[in-house]
Amino acid sequence: MSVPSLWWIDWTLHGGPMRRETAGRFLFCFLAALYFLAMLLSGGVDRFLAGQYTISAILHIGVPDDEGRGIAGKVAALPPVREARYHDPEQAWEEFRAAYPGLESLRGEGRNPLPGYVEVRLRPGWMSDEGIAEVRSALEPVSRVEKVLTGGDVMRSLLRMKRWANVLLWSGFALVCVVFLAILLMQEKARTARLLPEVSFLAGRGVPEGRIASMRTAGAVVAGILVALLATGLAWAALFLAARHLPPVRVAVGSAEEMFDAGFLLPAALFILCAAMLQGLASLAGWRATFPKGR
Amino acid sequence: MIEAFRIGAVSRDRTLWEGVDLAAGTGEMWVVAGPPSSGKTVLLHILRGERRPDSGDVVVDGESLYRGSPEHNRRFRALSGVVPESLPAEPGKTLRELFLLSALALGGLTENEREGRMGDLLSLVGLSGAENVEISSLSASERARAAFAVELFRSPRYLFLDMFLANAGREWADRMGALLRALAREEKTILLMERRFPDEWQAQIAPSPLSAGPFRLYRLAAPPRAPKEKEQQAPVSPVSGTAEG
Repeated sequence: MSVPSLWWIDWTLHGGPMRRETAGRFLFCFLAALYFLAMLLSGGVDRFLAGQYTISAILHIGVPDDEGRGIAGKVAALPPVREARYHDPEQAWEEFRAAYPGLESLRGEGRNPLPGYVEVRLRPGWMSDEGIAEVRSALEPVSRVEKVLTGGDVMRSLLRMKRWANVLLWSGFALVCVVFLAILLMQEKARTARLLPEVSFLAGRGVPEGRIASMRTAGAVVAGILVALLATGLAWAALFLAARHLPPVRVAVGSAEEMFDAGFLLPAALFILCAAMLQGLASLAGWRATFPKGR
Repeated sequence: MIEAFRIGAVSRDRTLWEGVDLAAGTGEMWVVAGPPSSGKTVLLHILRGERRPDSGDVVVDGESLYRGSPEHNRRFRALSGVVPESLPAEPGKTLRELFLLSALALGGLTENEREGRMGDLLSLVGLSGAENVEISSLSASERARAAFAVELFRSPRYLFLDMFLANAGREWADRMGALLRALAREEKTILLMERRFPDEWQAQIAPSPLSAGPFRLYRLAAPPRAPKEKEQQAPVSPVSGTAEG
């Protein structure tokens, strides 16, 4: 048994255009959510770079495997480190042979000329000068470590490029948000203009305009939450399936399991809230444009 | 009770009239007759609290509509209904949507109640089954009656009707007159703005008019109802109920 309410005045009186506009709004919100979630997971190009980049701590020749593993374990406990793996001298030799075939003669009389090393991979969020410096400063004082290879000057310019790439990607998201806001404002102005005769009718019959505006805004926030929740949920599901079944996507955004982390879900919830508030504010701004205060 | 004291109106740098007095009590029906462009609609707007008079004041239930609190003015408008001279007809808009809008102003009606009341009122004004008819396809008479039914939906205590009888047409004058008198008996205050007092009513009522500016004011007090009749009629009356207080 439905009771008409000022909360849903637009839906009650102009259901057709409202459905069309909301479908467009949902589509845009879905695209924005997909972009935002992908950026959250990937950190822009951070995850891709973190997947490619390693810091190598070359150990002295003759360091026992137990000590090499011990060093890897300690390094793995550092905040910037995602993974630290010890490669014993034999593994190092096999890798060398695979990379440079035909140089087997270097191993004269069965002696392995290569030392073991610890391969360190950083977390995507720590792909920075600070992250690299922290790992380097932890490894360099270790007496068993001969050299720490971090990429040197090339890495510095690569990190600079990475920062610019991230700025560009986040700017893209900001642009999507601005376009979304512009569309919202245009839609809301059209909605209130459409509502003009009805508001005059209601105001002429003692319904305060302020009450219509506030109830309409509340309705817009509730509708906004529903739209944002559905759109973000759908974007989450699409990204989850893509990360699970498409390896190239996994390289950029990481494993699907990470999408259950609180550190990912909280910003996603914040996105929903912001999208809903934005829709409420746009509704109020559209109203104010058509019915200025104290007119 | 609506009381207008020495009110005057200026429009387009021309004094329309001034010094008009009027006092419409509960259960009274007034016909304000005046020639075209005499400012009947302006008077209606002033009496409804929508346009401040250029002189004088309008007092409702002891408080000024213009010098009193805005809340008093708003409450009065919530308690009153208005049938405009011409009902705006947006393309595609149906009568059902007009009733929906009226239901929004009233608030708290379920769909079933709304549908039932809408059907009753439309049949009362001779528009049975016209719920889904587009307003733009209605004749002037049908529009006037539809607008009247839409206002009755909220059961207003005060009714302002602009050229209602003229628009409804001669063939509806008797029926609408009977309906208006029934409403007056239910203690509604009714003000009709017309070019002239309807001929169809002359024989039955034959009131003596008062003069006020360019207007002739005809007061028609509703005959009091017997208490027994009141008791029997109230529950079945299609127009009884209360608007927002």
